[in-house]
Amino acid sequence: MKVAKNIVLIAVIIFIGYHSVYFKKLDSIKAAKAATLFHASQYAQAFWNDKLIPHLEKAIDIMYLTNQLSTDTAKTFDTYSHALGIGNLRYFLVKGKGIVTSINENDASVLPDSSRQSIKIATEYIFGNAVRDATGLININEFNNTMDFNNVSAEINKIIRETILPSFKSTVRKENKVEFVGAIELNKEHLDLSRIEVIPVQIKIMPY
Amino acid sequence: MKRLLCLPTILAATILLSTFFIGGCKRHASNNSKKKVAVIVSTLNNPWFVVLAQTAASQAQSLGYETKIFDSQNNTALEADNFENAIASGFNAILFNPTDADGSIVNALKAKAADIPVFCMDREINSTDAATSQILSDNYSGCVALGKYFVEQMKKKGNYVEILGLVGDNNTWNRSKGFHSVVDFYPDLKIVAQQSADFDRNKAMEVMESLLQAHPGINAIFCGNDAMASGAYQALVAAGNSNQVKVFGFDGAEDVINSIKDKKIVATGMQFPKEMARTAANYADQYIKGKRDFPKKMPVAVELVTQENVDDYIGYGKKDNAQK
Repeated sequence: MKVAKNIVLIAVIIFIGYHSVYFKKLDSIKAAKAATLFHASQYAQAFWNDKLIPHLEKAIDIMYLTNQLSTDTAKTFDTYSHALGIGNLRYFLVKGKGIVTSINENDASVLPDSSRQSIKIATEYIFGNAVRDATGLININEFNNTMDFNNVSAEINKIIRETILPSFKSTVRKENKVEFVGAIELNKEHLDLSRIEVIPVQIKIMPY
Repeated sequence: MKRLLCLPTILAATILLSTFFIGGCKRHASNNSKKKVAVIVSTLNNPWFVVLAQTAASQAQSLGYETKIFDSQNNTALEADNFENAIASGFNAILFNPTDADGSIVNALKAKAADIPVFCMDREINSTDAATSQILSDNYSGCVALGKYFVEQMKKKGNYVEILGLVGDNNTWNRSKGFHSVVDFYPDLKIVAQQSADFDRNKAMEVMESLLQAHPGINAIFCGNDAMASGAYQALVAAGNSNQVKVFGFDGAEDVINSIKDKKIVATGMQFPKEMARTAANYADQYIKGKRDFPKKMPVAVELVTQENVDDYIGYGKKDNAQK
């Protein structure tokens, strides 16, 4: 009788012990965790290919925009600008053509067709949220935390730094005619149209 | 017969009394039915948070709510007491400036369990479902802009020190990461020390005094808030090299705006506590009126204030047209 009791007791202990401990491969745990993580570089690349590039045709002409901003600032901001958050900093998707008037350490100055006011095409400081936000196609509710959408900006800027700028910087010369599409940041309350800087998404040197 | 005649009189008197009593109760209920919004703030020792709390309360009052400000004195335990008081007192919404990104989650969850919405202002909690919405300064992007200006002012080279805020606060790291996301592209800009001063002016002065002895040849200091920038600048003045070292802050505090005008401090990132507070109060009002779809995180743009554009700003915000 005692032997039977001990056998049952051992069986219960083995049963409980077996079902109390689980072994999983570390690789599968890491893979499962990685699958739930947000991949900013993948998101940025998909946004670039699937949303941004098809949307470039909706970019507004830079000369038209500056004229509109000079005549009706509030309405122009409401109509053409976007931003992921709230505040005075708003972003526009713009396009234009013009002559390169100087090539500087951090940018190229371009005089748009039929304009007296130069703009700058950034070639060094490719930072900030201008390109991410200018289309208005990203919804903030897609992101659970602030670092995710900060990282999206960083990855989009990396694409520009690595794929758009090198060929332009190596070939552009003063007096070249260029055609560009890009994003600009403007302060709604403190508008300064004399210092427009375009972060380029597409830029090409036109043949003479 | 006499008894029968009395019955309608008694009934009429009862109905009259009941009507009066119910009417009185209704009036009493309507007096108490004014909805209430609690403002629970991390500390009222710092003027920046006083502006945040008072603006939140006055915006809620302007929307028709009774308000009360609770000071957590940077103490998570006191914050927990404030939440319990707010829940027990029947507040309808809480506008919340947390003391700790992790430690404050449980307090927000308590309110959520009691069906009270929580709207975080300025400081973040590390949970996406405890608060109804979090209205936060876009610290990272603000420091990206500040980092770019820093690189330009330093002409891409030099030695600098970074003074961090509270190491347990997300804002500290979002600011630091934003700054380094730019500055680290330039290898000739070398960080010689990175130390915390807990967002405190006096601690920053002490930290800077000892760092100046260890690294006398620094060219710039990046501080995670304006109080620390002021403390660091004081240490430079005491050491006699305030003209050689460029100081950068973050917040948009009044004394630093004045220091930028006086060309003592180079630049800061202007946060908008009033904008955040008003947005949080408006969200609470919308929630109470039935709206449920709020962004989990709502960034508020931070603007770069330099010696070129400082005249457009005042402490904690932008000059309106009447002030220009």
